[in-house]
Amino acid sequence: MRRMVWLLLLVLLLPGAMAQQLREQIRKYTLDNGLRVLMVPDKTAPVIHFNLMFDVGGVDEAPGLGGIAHMVEHMAFKGTPSIGSLDWAKEKAALEAIDKARAELDRAIANRASQEEIQRLTARFNEAREEAKKLALPNAIDQLFTNNGEQGLNASTGYDRTDYRVSLPSNRLELYLRVYADVLMNAVFRSFYEEADVVLEERRQRSENDPNGALSEAFLRAAFQVHPYGRPLIGSREEIQGYRVDKALEFWKTHYHPNRAVLVLVGDVEPERDIQLVRRYMGAIPRGPERPSLNIPAEPPQTAERRVSIEYNAQPSLLIGFHKPTYPNREAYVMDMIDSILTEGRTSRLFRRLVIQEQAALNVSASSASPGFRYPNLFTISAQPRAPRTTQDLERLIYEELERLKNEPVSPQELQKVRNQTRAAYLRVLQGGPGLAQALAFYELFFGGYQRIFEEEAIYNTITAEEIQQAARKYFTPQNRTVATLITRGGSR
Amino acid sequence: MKAIWSLLSLLTLGLAQGVPADWPDPFKMQFQRLQPAAIQPTRVQLSNGLTVLLIEDRALPFVSGRVYLRAGAIYEPDDKVGLSGIFSSVLRTGGAGERTPDQVDETLETLAATVSVSTDNLFTSVAFNTLTENLDQVLQIWADVLVRPRFAQERLDLEKGRALEAIRRRNDQPTQIAVREFVRRINEGHPAGRISSAASIQSITRDDLLAFHQRFFKPNGAVLAITGDFNTQEMVARLERVLQGWQQGPVSLPTFAPPSPKPGIYFLQKEANQSVIYMGNPTVTAFAPGYSELDLASRVLGDGFNSRLFVEVRTRRGLAYATGGAQSQGFGWPGFFYGASISRVEKTAEVIELMLAQFRDLRERPVSQEELELFRNNILNAEVFRFTSKQAVAERIARTQMLGLPPDYYEQYIRQIQAITPADLQRVVQQYVRPEQFVIVVVGDKRQFDRPLQSLGKVVEVPLE
Repeated sequence: MRRMVWLLLLVLLLPGAMAQQLREQIRKYTLDNGLRVLMVPDKTAPVIHFNLMFDVGGVDEAPGLGGIAHMVEHMAFKGTPSIGSLDWAKEKAALEAIDKARAELDRAIANRASQEEIQRLTARFNEAREEAKKLALPNAIDQLFTNNGEQGLNASTGYDRTDYRVSLPSNRLELYLRVYADVLMNAVFRSFYEEADVVLEERRQRSENDPNGALSEAFLRAAFQVHPYGRPLIGSREEIQGYRVDKALEFWKTHYHPNRAVLVLVGDVEPERDIQLVRRYMGAIPRGPERPSLNIPAEPPQTAERRVSIEYNAQPSLLIGFHKPTYPNREAYVMDMIDSILTEGRTSRLFRRLVIQEQAALNVSASSASPGFRYPNLFTISAQPRAPRTTQDLERLIYEELERLKNEPVSPQELQKVRNQTRAAYLRVLQGGPGLAQALAFYELFFGGYQRIFEEEAIYNTITAEEIQQAARKYFTPQNRTVATLITRGGSR
Repeated sequence: MKAIWSLLSLLTLGLAQGVPADWPDPFKMQFQRLQPAAIQPTRVQLSNGLTVLLIEDRALPFVSGRVYLRAGAIYEPDDKVGLSGIFSSVLRTGGAGERTPDQVDETLETLAATVSVSTDNLFTSVAFNTLTENLDQVLQIWADVLVRPRFAQERLDLEKGRALEAIRRRNDQPTQIAVREFVRRINEGHPAGRISSAASIQSITRDDLLAFHQRFFKPNGAVLAITGDFNTQEMVARLERVLQGWQQGPVSLPTFAPPSPKPGIYFLQKEANQSVIYMGNPTVTAFAPGYSELDLASRVLGDGFNSRLFVEVRTRRGLAYATGGAQSQGFGWPGFFYGASISRVEKTAEVIELMLAQFRDLRERPVSQEELELFRNNILNAEVFRFTSKQAVAERIARTQMLGLPPDYYEQYIRQIQAITPADLQRVVQQYVRPEQFVIVVVGDKRQFDRPLQSLGKVVEVPLE
C-alpha cells in the first residue's frame, strides 16, 4: 500500500514541467479591433490547426428564431463577393430579386391570397433562386481550402459558442487569413433557402430519426422551462421553415465581430513573424458592438420532480438530470469530480454496479455540464437497460448509488484515482492538435483567459471528500430531478 | 495609360467587393507543396520473432504502443460470427497474468493509463498508453493481456449479454441498419459479409476464446509500433523481459474467394421521415492497378463540399444534410465504389435517380481538368498531415508490413495521382463502376415514398433482424 501511495505522488508531480513549458510558449496578442490571437508553436509537422471561436450560440437567439445561430454558421461557408461570385454586380441584383420574391410570397400567404396567386409567386421565387445560382460558384471557400490540402474543415454551434475549424499546411496561413477576414467583413448569404432545406434534413437526421436526439430534446424541454437551454439547438421544424435572409443577416451583424472572438493557431508558427500577417488581414475588420444584454431569463429553482416520456420505434433508454451551478463556482468542479467517480472507466461506481455487477445496463454515461456551460446547467446520467431489465430498475440502482455518495465519504484512494484521471485527460489535451486549439479558444473566451487551463488542476486537487458529499446532498434530490424515458412503441419500458 | 487604367479598375473592383485593393485574389494565391520530412522508426526483431518499430519522442512524458496480430473477424467460424468482437472485449476485461479482472481495471485506472483491444476484419490490436513513470507496470499488464489472458467465465457471460443487447438495439437507427445491410450485401459470399445473430453469440464458449488466442496470437508475423518517452535500447530489453514465454508457432490463414454480390435493390422497412440510401459495386483492392484512378474519381463524386453528390443533392437542391461517396480500401478482397445519402422520405426515388445519374455521368463524360486538379491538389497538399503524430506514423508502417504492401506504396500512389488525366479516370471508371450492377440498399418508410422502388428495378424486401 505504501508503494501505491508513492506511485500516486509521482503521477502528480512529474508532468508539471510539460505544462509549464507549453505555457511559456503560448503567445497572446490583442488587435486594435479587439480580436484576441493565441499562437502555440509546435514543430512536429509543417501544419497549422486553426480555431476561430465566437461567444455566440443558441442562447443568443430571439424567441421564434430558434436555431438561427446554427443556420448562420452554415451560411458563413457560402463565401463573399470576391469568393464565390461569377459576377458580383449581377449576383447582388439576383439575390435582391430573391428577397423581393420571398417577401411578396410571404405577404400573399399572410393575406390568404388565392391558390393560383400563391403558386404564381412560388414559381417566381423559385425562378429567382435559379437565376442567382447561375451567377455563383457553389462552396467556393471549401474549394480554396480543399485545393490547399485542408483537413477537418468544419464548424459547430453550441448553446454558448460557435467555432470554425480547419487545419492547413503551414505556408497557407495567408490564405486562411485572406478568406476569414473577408468572410467576417463581407459574408454573402447565397443559396439561403436551399441551405434552410439542408438544415431541415439535418434536424430530421439528428433529432427526429435518432432516438437519442428525440429523447434529449424532450428531456431539455422539461428540464428548462424558462431558460433557452430548454429549446432545441437546431430549432423547431416551424422555425427552420420560417428563416428569412434579413433576420439571419441581422443575427450575423449583431454578433460576429472580432471583439467577440478568439483565433487560435497551433502548429508550425513563428509568432513574432506571423502576427504581422494576422494584423494585416484580421486587423482590417472593424470592431463591432459588444454582446448585447439579452435579458436571458434565469431558470427558476425546480421544486418538484419532472417526468417526461416519449414513445419511439426503438429500445428503451433513460436520461436523468439535476440542476447545478456552472464554472467558476467551485461546486461545478466538484460535480466534474463526481462525474468521474460515477462513470469514468470500468471501475467507476455506476459502470461497475449497473453494467458489471447487476448486468442491468448495456452502458451508462454522465455529463457534468450539459447542455451548455455559460449558465447554470445540468448534471446528466444516461443509461440503456439490458432486457428484461427496465428503465425503472436502472433508476432505482442509480438513486442507490447517489445515496451512497451522500451518505459515505469517498475514500482517499478513490479520490486520488479520479484526480489522476482528470490530470491524464488534461495532459492529453495539452499534447496539441485541433483539440488544444479548441480548448485554448474556449478558456480564453469564457473562463477569463487561456491561462486558466493551467490552473484548474489545482482546483481539482484541493476538492475534498466532504465537498463531494455536500454537493451530492445538495443537488441529487428528487425535487431537483428531471427524468426522461424512451418507451418502445407498442412495447414496455 | 494602360497600367493606370488597370490599377484603377482593380481599385474599384476591390472596393466594390469589400476588401482592400492590395489583398490578393485567393484563387490566384500560389503556394509551394510542402514535402513532409519522413520519419523512419528503428526496426528491431525480438528473439521470439516479433517485429518492433520504435520512435523515440522525448517531448512529452508518455509512452504509447500497439501490436497488430493477424486475428480478424473473417477468420471466425461461420456459426460463431461475432467471436472476434467478444474475444477482444474479454481479452481486455477477463483478467491477465496474476491479476483478476478487477485488479487489472483498478491498477490501470489508478495510474490513469489505458490498455485497449480493437478488432476489425483482418487484425486484432492490443494497445497501451501511459505516463513514462508507470511504464513498467503498464507494460507488464499489456504483455499479460496479450500473452497470458485469463478469459474469466463471468466476464465472458457479461460481454455476451451486452452483445445480445446490442443486437436487440441494432435496428434503432435507420443509418445503422443501412450500413450493416450494405456491407453485408456488397460482401456477399465472403466472410466479411456475415453478421452476428443471437444464436451465433450465444454459442460462444470460453474454449472458443482460448482456441482463437492459441491459433492467432503468435509473435512471428505480428508487428508492434511503439513511440514516446524512452530509450530505444532499454525499451527493447524491457520488451524481451515482459514478453518472455511468448512463443513462435505456425499461423495458417485460410483464403477466401472474393465477394460475389447480387445486384438489385434491397429494401428494409423502417418508420422514419428520411430514407437512408447506399449504392455501389466492388472494384479493386487498395493500391492495386486502377485503385488510384478510382480513388480520385470517387473524390470527384463524393468527397466534401465540392464533390458532385454534395453539390447536386445538398447545395443545389437541399435534399440531404449527409451525402457523399468514396472508394473503400479493400485489403485481401476488393473494396467498393459507393455513394450514400440521407434524404427526406417523400423524395426517395428522386434522390436515388439523382445519385445514379452522377455515377453514370462519371462514366459517360470525362471530368473537367479543374475538377481533377482540385482533388489531386487536395491529396498532394494534405500529405503533410500523415506526419503529425509519431504514433500514427509507426502504426501505419506496422500495418503496411502486415498487409504486405511495399514500403513505398504511398509514394507510388502519389506518383500515380500526379499523372492521372481525365481520360485515364474515365477509362478506369468505365471498367469498374457499373450502375446497372449496383447493390442498392434503401431503408425507409415505403408508404411515404414518391414512387415505388419497383419503378427503379428489381426489389428484394429484407425483413429487419
